[in-house]
Amino acid sequence: MNKKENVTFAVGSVTNAMRGRDLLSQNGITAHVGRAQPNDVNGCGYTLTVSGDADRAWRLLQTAGIRIRSSQ
Amino acid sequence: MIYFDNAATAYPKAPPVAAAMTAALREYGGNAGRGGHRLSLVTAEAVYRCRERAAAMFGLSNPARVVFTANCTASLNIALKSLVRHGRVIISDMEHNSMWRPLVAAGGRNPCFSVARVGETSEETVANFRRLITRDTVAIACLSASNVFGNLLPIEALGRLAREYDLVFLVDASQTAGIIPLHMERMHIDLLCMPGHKGLGGPTGTGLLLCGERYTPYPLIQGGSGGESRSPYPPEDLPERLECGTLNTVGICGLSAALDFAAKGDMNARYREEMQMTAKLYDALGRLPTCRLYTPRPAAGEAAPLFSFNLAGKEAEETAALLDREGVAVRAGLHCAPLAHRHFGTLPSGTVRLAPSRYTTAEEWQKVLQIIYKIS
Repeated sequence: MNKKENVTFAVGSVTNAMRGRDLLSQNGITAHVGRAQPNDVNGCGYTLTVSGDADRAWRLLQTAGIRIRSSQ
Repeated sequence: MIYFDNAATAYPKAPPVAAAMTAALREYGGNAGRGGHRLSLVTAEAVYRCRERAAAMFGLSNPARVVFTANCTASLNIALKSLVRHGRVIISDMEHNSMWRPLVAAGGRNPCFSVARVGETSEETVANFRRLITRDTVAIACLSASNVFGNLLPIEALGRLAREYDLVFLVDASQTAGIIPLHMERMHIDLLCMPGHKGLGGPTGTGLLLCGERYTPYPLIQGGSGGESRSPYPPEDLPERLECGTLNTVGICGLSAALDFAAKGDMNARYREEMQMTAKLYDALGRLPTCRLYTPRPAAGEAAPLFSFNLAGKEAEETAALLDREGVAVRAGLHCAPLAHRHFGTLPSGTVRLAPSRYTTAEEWQKVLQIIYKIS
């Protein structure tokens, strides 16, 4: 993943999106909560758009048990 | 009216609750977790803030494991009906019907629970629970304090016992949440159920189920959860796994304000003050020859701020009616806890319960005493 461009992670719920945002913020990474576009696999959900080190963000989220459905 | 029925629901509510609920009607009118528009997200933030406050108060590190329910009964039903899928549960002989009835219903003709007698000492209570543990036992479930008699159960010791046998530990904190500090991680509590509307001072229609990392309950009901909608199954992750349907947002905002208010100040100091008042009430009633008391003198660390009594020659409901006529609100009867009354030998008529709160004034309890003396 690119360290500098915005990356959007799809997570299952608004609660985990907000938890993820706060976790990343505590670790110096800015993230914003948004609504995911519906897809054929999951239907709908919420996103975390990360500005900064997306690889580190991904690791932090995974370690905290926040499931990431997809990233782009 | 002098209100002594705080064990049923707190009155008055915490000071910021009404304003928070009114504001929520105006400002948080979206449906949290159901859309991406600004109002939905702002509402979701308010709901999330309540989860954070509840997690912080009860020693749960992950706010996403705070589940909102309609009341403690709903929380207990979710937890218990999930646990019995795996095996048997041990409860105490002081439990409220919200613990007993779901287990009776779940077991049908094959009881799925055992009942441990609460002893005279904590050691005896723990030994009674230990004696009932078998290979089929999956959980220990008990209240933190009797809603009728106020006696505390040895929660920390029972938590250690549950952990020793790798059992899930479920606590019904109906009478202690917001009154006596509880810390899930330190006390080895895996599932913590509570109403929002008693010791926490929040509105009726709110309850909490806090889930530690060791156990995630199955959903009791299924429906829309706001995400992953293509799947016919509920989400795997908390809290949405257990929160299908629209949340009681206004109630949650009220509860959030109550949690914020309760977190200010020293809960231990407030508890000691409440217990001092409760003990004074108890002592004064103890000097009334026609008054029957059932528990030792309430003391901090041994009881919640409530106790039961009866007056000689009067049924409990009769005493309560006389008190009501004098402007004193109490509850009488079995308090939805026949097991507790069986333990203390107060069936079939039950008892009159006095349950003051942090807002009960010295003038009020002295007035109540005068009235009880008058009607006795």
